[in-house]
Amino acid sequence: MIARQVNFAFDAGSARKQVLFDIDFVLDRGEFVILTGPSGAGKTTLMTLIGALRSLQSGSISVLDTELAGLKAEGQREIRRKIGFIFQDHNLFDALTAFQTLSLAMTLAGRRQSRSEARTLAVTLLSKLSMEPQIDSRPRQMSTGQKQRVAIARALINEPPIIIADEPTAALDADTAALVIELLRQLVGTAGTSVLMVTHDRRIFSAANRILTMVDGRITASR
Amino acid sequence: MPPQFGLGLRLLVYNRLRLLIASASVAMGVVVIFVELGLLFGMLDAQALIANLVRGDLLVMNIARINLHRWDKLYPVRIDQAAAVPGVARVTPVYEDHVGMQDPDDKRVRRIILYAFPPDDIPFRLDDPASITHALKVSHGFLYDRLSRPIFGKFQAGDDIKLDTVPARVGGYVNIGVDIVNDGNILISKGDWLARSPDAKPIMGVIHLKPGVPVEEARRAILAALPADVSVLTPAETARRESMYTLRSAPVGILFLVGMLAGLVIGTINCYQVLYNEISDRLPQFATLKAMGFSNRFLRGVILEQAVVLSLTGFVTGMIVSWLADWYIASQSMLPIRITGPSGFIVCSLTFAMCMVAGLIAIRRVAVADPAALY
Repeated sequence: MIARQVNFAFDAGSARKQVLFDIDFVLDRGEFVILTGPSGAGKTTLMTLIGALRSLQSGSISVLDTELAGLKAEGQREIRRKIGFIFQDHNLFDALTAFQTLSLAMTLAGRRQSRSEARTLAVTLLSKLSMEPQIDSRPRQMSTGQKQRVAIARALINEPPIIIADEPTAALDADTAALVIELLRQLVGTAGTSVLMVTHDRRIFSAANRILTMVDGRITASR
Repeated sequence: MPPQFGLGLRLLVYNRLRLLIASASVAMGVVVIFVELGLLFGMLDAQALIANLVRGDLLVMNIARINLHRWDKLYPVRIDQAAAVPGVARVTPVYEDHVGMQDPDDKRVRRIILYAFPPDDIPFRLDDPASITHALKVSHGFLYDRLSRPIFGKFQAGDDIKLDTVPARVGGYVNIGVDIVNDGNILISKGDWLARSPDAKPIMGVIHLKPGVPVEEARRAILAALPADVSVLTPAETARRESMYTLRSAPVGILFLVGMLAGLVIGTINCYQVLYNEISDRLPQFATLKAMGFSNRFLRGVILEQAVVLSLTGFVTGMIVSWLADWYIASQSMLPIRITGPSGFIVCSLTFAMCMVAGLIAIRRVAVADPAALY
């Protein structure tokens, strides 16, 4: 992922507010980057632009060799299918079991697979998140942390080349958070997955290859 | 996995109580449509009841009798003239009049419709014709229609009841039915009726053709042979003409149409409200699906799938309630109000249409789900 001279402003009537200023950065294949900074720094806006959830206003972002500037809705959707999104809220359907949630996500990959193959895939991933016993549970039968882990599994089930995560460990206890981070590190190391994560959780800073700090719409530090 | 995953169905059936309430909401519209349609069809059926009961190939009537509730009689000779036309096997004269029937208990006299015909040639499709023939011949009285409105008092076979002040014996019972105007029917033999009313003229002749004679050919021959003061129609044509006359002459058609439209609007609004709430309550989830790359087409499919499910559950629920409502209305009015194949098909189609319209409107709600707002 390559971002060049990205600027972005919100229009609220006459009060135009620019939130990103000349953002330049590269997320390499197999890199784990943490984006941190105070609230209102523009981290979320940058994430939504990289995730093709918003249209670019100026500058350039290239994701998996596709330029997002000027990309139509269909193109944006195609890019989003290749990205694993992890949100702060799990947003699981109350009617679906963990397996059904993952099965629904699997339909996006366009693979032809039997139910048993899909279940094997789900069991494998959920067991890595210590969630195998909950495979047939619905959200109301799970704790907040368990729901978040199902949401994480949903983002990872199609083995996306890029994962964009927003505070994925906020709802998790220390042990579970470590489990999730270890899984992400494994993906980075073995599958070459790139991870861009917004977090304030200092416990996981050490897992990253790079930490970018944003303040007032600019990347002010990279270490 | 199925291509559409059945997400809409899963979301709807997950909360059974909510599905029940949603189905009931849609069913409200279905019930209104069913009842309006049931009343309309019931009324039309009732008005054309005699035409539908007739057992014969053609009917000859006075040309001035443009509906079955007019009393324009035939010259008796027309019956013989029609019977003399080649291809005609026989013509059964049917007499119709109204008589005052006295309640044996409160002595009140109420109007009832009387049909007279030769007892050996019953012109109506009735159960157990041999018994009817026997009862009419033996009793020299009348047969009372059990489906008459219960306003003529209590009596039983063998009792003498005054018809226009002259006693007549209750010879038995038949099942015919009433309409909006007439409260009941009695049957009497032609001979007994002419003995009471020597100047009586037939109201129609039921024509039976010889085997293999084409109906149209016979009709042309009868019209050519008889003076121009008669009309010749098949029983089905007579029934259709009666229904059209009822629709034209009374504002019932437009009244029931407005009622049905009201049901459609109620159903559509209720279904839209249900779908709108379904979407609103799950807006973050739908936004997540969009963020993951699911297309608007997929999301539209989910909503329309829910609309289809609601149309089915709403239709079934509404049909059950309507069946009960029709049963009650029919028992009170004695009109043939019921759910029929055609009315069921019409209401099912309208229910599907109204839920799809509601779904198409509700789809706009899911379009506003903004995946960018999830971060």
